[in-house]
Amino acid sequence: MADKTMPIFVPSEKPLKVVKWKVKQGVFVSQGQILFLYNDSSGNGTDLKKYKAARAGTISSIKVKEGDIAEPGVAVAELEECRHPTVMKEMCAECGADLRTDEVSNRDVAVVPMVHSVPELKVSEELAQKLGREDAERLLKDRKLVLLVDLDQTLVHTTNDNIPPNLKGVLHFFLRSPGCPGRWCHTRLRPRTKEFLESASKNYELHVCTFGARQYAHAVADLLDPEKKYFSHRILSRDECFDARTKAANLKALFPCGDNMVCIIDDREDVWRHATNLIHVRPYSFFQSTGDINAPPPPVDEKPKDKQLASGKNGAQVNQMPTLDAEPEQKDTSKQKETKDDSDNGKIVSKEAKSSGSEEKESQEADQESDERIAQEQAEPKWVETSDGQIEVEDPDDYLIYLDDILKRIHKHFYDYYDKMGKNQIPDLKSIIPEVKSEVLAGTSLVFSGLVPTHQRLETSRAYQVARSLGAEVTQDYSDKTTHLVAVRAGTAKVNASRRMGEGKNKLHVVTPEWLWSCAERWERVDERLYPLQRGGQSSSRRPPAHCSSPPPAPAPVAAMRKRTPSGRFMDTINPLLSFSSDDIADMDREVEDIFNESDESSSDDEKPRDDDLDDEENPPEDRLISASAENSMQDSLQERLQQEEATNDSEMDDEPRPRKRPRKSPPSDDEPPDDDDSSWNLMGAALEKELLAQD
Amino acid sequence: MFYHISLEHEILLHPRYFGPQLLDIVKQKLYTEVEGTCTGKYGFVIAVTAIDSIGAGLIQPGQGFVVYPVKYKAIVFRPFKGEVLDAIVTQVNKSIPADMEFCPNVNPPCYKSKQEDNVIQEEDVIRLKIVGTRVDATGIFAIGTLMDDYLGLVTQ
Repeated sequence: MADKTMPIFVPSEKPLKVVKWKVKQGVFVSQGQILFLYNDSSGNGTDLKKYKAARAGTISSIKVKEGDIAEPGVAVAELEECRHPTVMKEMCAECGADLRTDEVSNRDVAVVPMVHSVPELKVSEELAQKLGREDAERLLKDRKLVLLVDLDQTLVHTTNDNIPPNLKGVLHFFLRSPGCPGRWCHTRLRPRTKEFLESASKNYELHVCTFGARQYAHAVADLLDPEKKYFSHRILSRDECFDARTKAANLKALFPCGDNMVCIIDDREDVWRHATNLIHVRPYSFFQSTGDINAPPPPVDEKPKDKQLASGKNGAQVNQMPTLDAEPEQKDTSKQKETKDDSDNGKIVSKEAKSSGSEEKESQEADQESDERIAQEQAEPKWVETSDGQIEVEDPDDYLIYLDDILKRIHKHFYDYYDKMGKNQIPDLKSIIPEVKSEVLAGTSLVFSGLVPTHQRLETSRAYQVARSLGAEVTQDYSDKTTHLVAVRAGTAKVNASRRMGEGKNKLHVVTPEWLWSCAERWERVDERLYPLQRGGQSSSRRPPAHCSSPPPAPAPVAAMRKRTPSGRFMDTINPLLSFSSDDIADMDREVEDIFNESDESSSDDEKPRDDDLDDEENPPEDRLISASAENSMQDSLQERLQQEEATNDSEMDDEPRPRKRPRKSPPSDDEPPDDDDSSWNLMGAALEKELLAQD
Repeated sequence: MFYHISLEHEILLHPRYFGPQLLDIVKQKLYTEVEGTCTGKYGFVIAVTAIDSIGAGLIQPGQGFVVYPVKYKAIVFRPFKGEVLDAIVTQVNKSIPADMEFCPNVNPPCYKSKQEDNVIQEEDVIRLKIVGTRVDATGIFAIGTLMDDYLGLVTQ
């Protein structure tokens, strides 16, 4: 500050008489403003001369009084230069100086864009801190917190596809943008959105934080909040985001004093870098063929699954035929089932391992059926045409009720802490939110059965992490303290044992994994009676849905390594492809298909198709691979596998093609249990190896 | 500041308009091409008030298009540094440091003075002094201040 103060000297080499000051101490002067009038000290010059300020700033002190003689070389006054604390479009808002033409030293003073919708308006670090503190004080006074709200798939679902115009509850708007023809957007608000906003705004200051373009964000905010009473101008869109992949970077600018009081609701964790103050909501999906039209571009190092996903989404039009989409997905899941069944049957339940092939087939069919049943149940809106030409849509999504409840609990927790602590301390939501979550299943003790593959350590499984984040104890084996047994299917050793042991007492609940997932989704202890384990009934979801995530699961290096490079097998050195899991290969398959389907897509992302082409050449699709190896293979098991696959494919063909959702968000597959098909691939590998050696 | 000045503009006309309505079309074209535009030198052209003369048209060789030089009078607006203006508030946000307090909770958000007798919110008329301007290709951008005598909310 001191170095910015500069003295003002008299403008000549002779002493001068200061006749009149035109400014007072502490007054802001702009460049060229008259500071004082003077004449020659000899007194013979009657004409008064004006002294103008060379720079803008504040007069910090006046050293020479009116009527006094000012000697040259002695400061008349001191001017504190304007430090440009607020800058709009590179012009200082205080003094009006154009910082583009000014010297470089002044440039980077004001760097923090504090206003959501006006990125050109920047303030200095110091001022940002001050404003941030004021904001925090105001929030505490009003007993509010900050809530960052995502739009797409959290509160609304928007599609650019052509949809029937008479859908009830769907809002339409047209976006014009310079340079392109504009597009129609059809937006469906999540059920109870209005009530949710009303209720949340009592405890929270709401901010929109979306990856949609500015125009889109404002249009949707207008639909949600026509009176601007919830969001006001607090709308942050893609145009204001610092980073195309993450929203976390903007937090520092919006909340310069830290994000202690910031709570986030979003359907994607990755864009917030898995922040602990994020509530991961269940993605809302209404238009079945469309994902998130405003998804961020995927990180460079992500799995092909994600790439394929986002390349479709980033295009203006996501217009895929549902049938094309559904098939590989189904194949994928059913195959996973098979492999898992193999391992489960073989290792966990010894009795079932001895079952004949036909029985196994049956169980797989049952598996598939249950797969489909569950897919249907997963909150797919049902479209019903009514007599008056309007299409009534039955939308079973009720997530916002739970979300509202979660937010209320968090708010109460925060202010309970705040009241307990001293006035100058502010509790941190980043630790409070996990704490609230961990109270959900506090006091329970879970045992998993059939949920975690045997070769995976319990601690590294997703299910374990989900349960732990909810505050439940998880033990490997059944004990006296156990309150819940989470079993994938009836008849496993643990289930039988617990049934026998727990018969006397009532407190043991035997539930399906869905119970755990829905606890994680709603942050409450769901009634166990809703998720009983049925004898013979197949439960499907061993993996938690993507949104039921825990705080960033610690990367499991062991599991990840196994997946990519299993041992130093001979095949890996010649053909690393064989070490890919079936999951990966199915993904590649789908990616290739997608590229064919979307060949008409514009050249918006130039690099992606090239990458994919490469993939295509290097990684032959699975079918080819299998058929090639099958020719040579003498192994019965492999033949059987193929037959089964055909059988499942056939049965799929018989089914009526049903619109399927695009997979919007793939769970980070690194921490999924690795596939257990090493044995069969080993066999294939051995077969190929034999052949190659024979050629030599 | 608003000015009423004489300006010149050239109208390029397609041959299909060569007919009895020709001069009307030239005038019409002038209005649509000029009004609402901004030049760095004169500022925003608000309205054309009079068309003084339409010069002799010059046929472009090889094209058939005709160029008419038009002289017209128009009201233009250009902000100057140091100028005092009346303005309407369109948005209120927090990062303007002033001796008024920002109140984001009321709808719409506003600034209030300490005694709460002075409230500035959206749609209000304020008197301000321009402290800096920037002329871009498409517009003129100016920054104003309320921190001086006789500036602030204009009460009707």
